[in-house]
Amino acid sequence: MYQEKKDYQSWICDKCQKELELTKVKVHYLEGEFEVELLNCPTCHQVFINESLALGKMAEVEQGLEDK
Amino acid sequence: MDLDKLLETGDRCIFREPPTCTANCPVHLEIIEFISEIEKGDFQKAYKLMEKKIPFHRIIGQICDHPCESFCVRSAAGGAISISELEKAVLEYGAAKPKKIWPVPKKKGKVAVIGAGLSGLTVAVDLDKKGYEIVLYEKTDRLGGRLWDHIGESLKEENLSEELKLVKDKGISIQFNQELDKNRLMDLLLEYDAVYLGSGGWDEQLEFNPKTFQVDELNLFIGGKIVTRNDSVIFSASSGRRAALSIERYLSKVSLTDSREREGIFETPLKQDVSETEVIIKIEKQSSIYSKEEAIQEAKRCIKCQCRKCMDGCNHLRKFDISPYAYVRQINHNERIILGTHYANKMINSCTECGLCKEECFLDISMKDVIQDTRESMVERNKMPVSAHDFALKDMAFSNSSRFSLVRKQPSKEQSKDLFYYPLISFSDYVKGLYHGTGKTEYLFYPGCQLPASYPDDVKSIYEYLVGHVKGDVGIYLGCCGAPADWAGRQDLMGENIEAIKKVWEEMERPTFILACSSCIRVFEKYLPEIKVQSLWDIYAEKGLPNKDQIKIPQTLSIHDACGTRENSDLHESVRKIASKLGYNIEELKYSRERTKCCGYGGLVYYANREQSDGFVAERIQESPHDILVYCTMCKDLFVSGGKRTFHLIDLIYPKDNEDGAVKKMPTLSERHQNRSRVKRSLLKEVWNEEVDEPAQDDYQLVIPESVRQNMEDRYILMEDIQAVVKNAQESRKRFFNPESGDYLASLKREHVTFWVQYAQEDDKVLIRNVYSHRMEIVEE
Repeated sequence: MYQEKKDYQSWICDKCQKELELTKVKVHYLEGEFEVELLNCPTCHQVFINESLALGKMAEVEQGLEDK
Repeated sequence: MDLDKLLETGDRCIFREPPTCTANCPVHLEIIEFISEIEKGDFQKAYKLMEKKIPFHRIIGQICDHPCESFCVRSAAGGAISISELEKAVLEYGAAKPKKIWPVPKKKGKVAVIGAGLSGLTVAVDLDKKGYEIVLYEKTDRLGGRLWDHIGESLKEENLSEELKLVKDKGISIQFNQELDKNRLMDLLLEYDAVYLGSGGWDEQLEFNPKTFQVDELNLFIGGKIVTRNDSVIFSASSGRRAALSIERYLSKVSLTDSREREGIFETPLKQDVSETEVIIKIEKQSSIYSKEEAIQEAKRCIKCQCRKCMDGCNHLRKFDISPYAYVRQINHNERIILGTHYANKMINSCTECGLCKEECFLDISMKDVIQDTRESMVERNKMPVSAHDFALKDMAFSNSSRFSLVRKQPSKEQSKDLFYYPLISFSDYVKGLYHGTGKTEYLFYPGCQLPASYPDDVKSIYEYLVGHVKGDVGIYLGCCGAPADWAGRQDLMGENIEAIKKVWEEMERPTFILACSSCIRVFEKYLPEIKVQSLWDIYAEKGLPNKDQIKIPQTLSIHDACGTRENSDLHESVRKIASKLGYNIEELKYSRERTKCCGYGGLVYYANREQSDGFVAERIQESPHDILVYCTMCKDLFVSGGKRTFHLIDLIYPKDNEDGAVKKMPTLSERHQNRSRVKRSLLKEVWNEEVDEPAQDDYQLVIPESVRQNMEDRYILMEDIQAVVKNAQESRKRFFNPESGDYLASLKREHVTFWVQYAQEDDKVLIRNVYSHRMEIVEE
């Protein structure tokens, strides 16, 4: 899972008014736990997930883990 | 799950069984493949198939007595396929030079072959190829024996000589003019590792094993006419080939009998139904041999026998292009995997469990039962993909929550006077009926969860009708029977649900349940056999319709029976009776009543594999040019969303003045919830005069464009999910902002799903731009 700059260049964290940064974030589903680079707010760390990531790679990994 | 039992079930499937022609060909030419190649015009490939299976194919192909043809299933529909003529055509148009075979060192043993007729030559050539040293003893001065009697129009002398020369060219040692007697035979048995006796004129009776052709326990094997006791060339060749195999096994010191069940001719379990096969008359050859085109036309007549009855009826089996035989094997693999991907999960969750396969199968193989057992096993082993049935199970929980669930006895006569006590107006049946309650709840109306979701305005009318027409009090019970849990393999939830229903039944002193939904009927029969049930439609058929004069335009309808009612022929009758009472003409579908298909909702396929569900819908709705009549809410909703004009019985019994019932759209997932809650509230208010809490006002006024609504349906996102995300975002400001567009993007995890909403604010309205969700969780540091 990765995100490109074009996916986020316009979005900022509303609460902190900060631009988003790509850093390693832990995600998990069922038995799987990974560290992936995702956009998040450098201050409050809320993670940004856009539609294509959620319905694309993320859904694919979810499906893969469900079928393990 | 008992996997041995599972495999047994799969092995009963005859999908892969050979056709009668091949089973009755002593050398098992793959006739369907052979004919398919001819049909494609590929005579060379057809030739290779002959070469592979038929000893001396260039001779036998001309003179075979073709026992296959008398068993051809096509004979009942235009005459048997002329397989022997096709073989001759293939020899003419597809012949290739024999492959150059490099001689194998002859180190495996010495075998004497007595008699150079067809069977002896077959043994000699087969064993020579395998590396045995062969000595051929022939009483005359030429090879071929009785083959020379067949010289004629098909088999030319020069062709036979040429073929026999090939045997000599192999370097097999041949001793001509050797008349052998019993004593000489005894000598040969000592001298050679094994002896084959294929001399048709041998006088002495020999005791032999009919499977292996071994004489006693000796190193003597026999074949040809002594074994076949007829003049058939193909049986003779077959006996030689089988004896050669025995000799090879004998000399290799392995079992002579293992895995030889289907040698020679055998009875195939395959049964081909030709009752609906179009009659096509046999193609006659215009000269001594089929032309290529004639051969192709004749090949096209072949039915290519294969049992596909279940597959023909089932969109699912065809979509995955799988027979029960192969399906069971994939399930078996899926069940046994410990580490690795369970590739069959999606397929297993794409079966509607409608039961048509069993109905179509003359061996009663039920994939419905196999799939149900498999899903239960997947749940038990914690291998069921959560996302497949999650939404449906949440929907079930909703229906059994206080937002819908309700149990009430019929109001007393005094309380319900305005509702049920109508004077009879003699010129019309337009009455709700007289009050004839008894104070004891004889019936409990259980409309299920989908009828109230799709027809919220009619539940009260149906209830009033029932109170006015059946003897004894009619209570009402709103809830979900548990069908989603059953389909999802969730026996834990199913058990709880059944207990809850049973408890109500006991508390109400065991009334008869009146069921409107076919899935409820199925679930009650399966899990609650002690509860007496009656179908709502049976009651309408028996007691008469409430609005007799309501028929608008008489028309022809095709009835799509609900798959849950497959075995309920009384119900099928009732539905037809109601439709015809209303003045409709019925044209039956090919797959109807006990052979009906599923609409695509069953087995929760609608949630687990929408594409598969759409496949069922698309196939079913094009089976009739007429509007369809259904009596299951999901059938109606799916067919209408597929673009087919479809009436539910409710549309006909309770027609609305300003509405074409046949195009009434499926409510959205959110509307289904709202409708159910509305049914509960309105019944409580209007029938029981109870105070009802109105639902809490939505926090935000959402403006949702059509494209987003469609996404909500496809992604199983409810209005309440969006409300919750927006509320959380507005209150906490935990959201993202896009200064260019002015949009916000916010998320909220609800149970196991994280919902994302992109929105903009405009005055007091919230404009929804997009919605999506995922199940993966972000681990907050």
